[in-house]
Amino acid sequence: MSTDPSHFLSNIIGSSVTVKLHNGVKYAGVLQSIDGFMNVVLQNGTEVAGESSRTYGDVFIRGNNGMYE
Amino acid sequence: MSEVIEAPGASNDVAETTILPLEIIDKSIGQYIHVLMTGNKEFKGKLVGFDDFVNMVLEDVTEIDNDGPSSTPIKQLLLNGAHVAMIIPS
Amino acid sequence: MSTLRTEQQSQEPLDLIRFQLDEFVLVKLRGAREMKGRLQGYDSHCNMVLSEAQEFIFSEKDVEPIVKKTEMVFVRGDSVILVSPSTE
Repeated sequence: MSTDPSHFLSNIIGSSVTVKLHNGVKYAGVLQSIDGFMNVVLQNGTEVAGESSRTYGDVFIRGNNGMYE
Repeated sequence: MSEVIEAPGASNDVAETTILPLEIIDKSIGQYIHVLMTGNKEFKGKLVGFDDFVNMVLEDVTEIDNDGPSSTPIKQLLLNGAHVAMIIPS
Repeated sequence: MSTLRTEQQSQEPLDLIRFQLDEFVLVKLRGAREMKGRLQGYDSHCNMVLSEAQEFIFSEKDVEPIVKKTEMVFVRGDSVILVSPSTE
C-alpha cells in the first residue's frame, strides 16, 4: 500500500495544494497538472511571501524550484 | 598474440554483503523518519513512499527550521529529493 | 469552495505556456526580477523569447523597481521561477 511520488501526484490532481519553493515563498491553488520535471500548474494561484500576497489566474511553476506540500 | 590473463584470485566476495542505500529507505516505509535538507531545514514524518530521485511522500509532517518546529503538522507532503542531505530512520 | 474535477491528464504544465503564445506573460525570475512581454517562443527548459518586453528589477522593498524596456529578449530557462498570463 505504499504510494510512490508519481502515484501521489496523480491522486492529488484537482485538489487544493500548497507548493513551497526553495526560497520560502508559497503558492496555494488548485492543482491542475504536473509533469515528470515537477513543473506544476495551479489554478487561482496565490503567492504567499511573508505578510504580502498576490494572486494569479493560472500559474506555471518551474519544477526545479518546488519543494512541496 | 596469446596473452594469458591471470585469474583475479581470492577475496571476491564483497558484493554479496553490501546493503543498498535505497534498501534502507525501503525498510523505513510506514515508519517515522527524520529528513535533513542541505539548507538549515529538517522534516519529521511518516514515510509513505519514495522514488529513485529520493523524492518522498510523507504524512503528518513537522517542518523544522531555524525558528524551531512548525506549529501545525502537514497532513500529506511530497518532498523534492534534490536537496535531501540525510535520511534517519527512527 | 468548488472542487474542480479535471480528469484530463492529457494536459501537461507546459501546455499552459503553449496557450500563452503570442499573449502577454509575466515571468518571475531568480534574483528579484520579473519580465513582462509577448511570448514568441519557449522550449522544455523554459527558455523563452519575449517581444515588447519590460524587465523589472526589485532592489529594496517599497522602492519603485528599475524598469528596462527591450524590443526582443531571450530568457534562459534555469532562472525562471514561474510563468503566468499577464494582466494587461
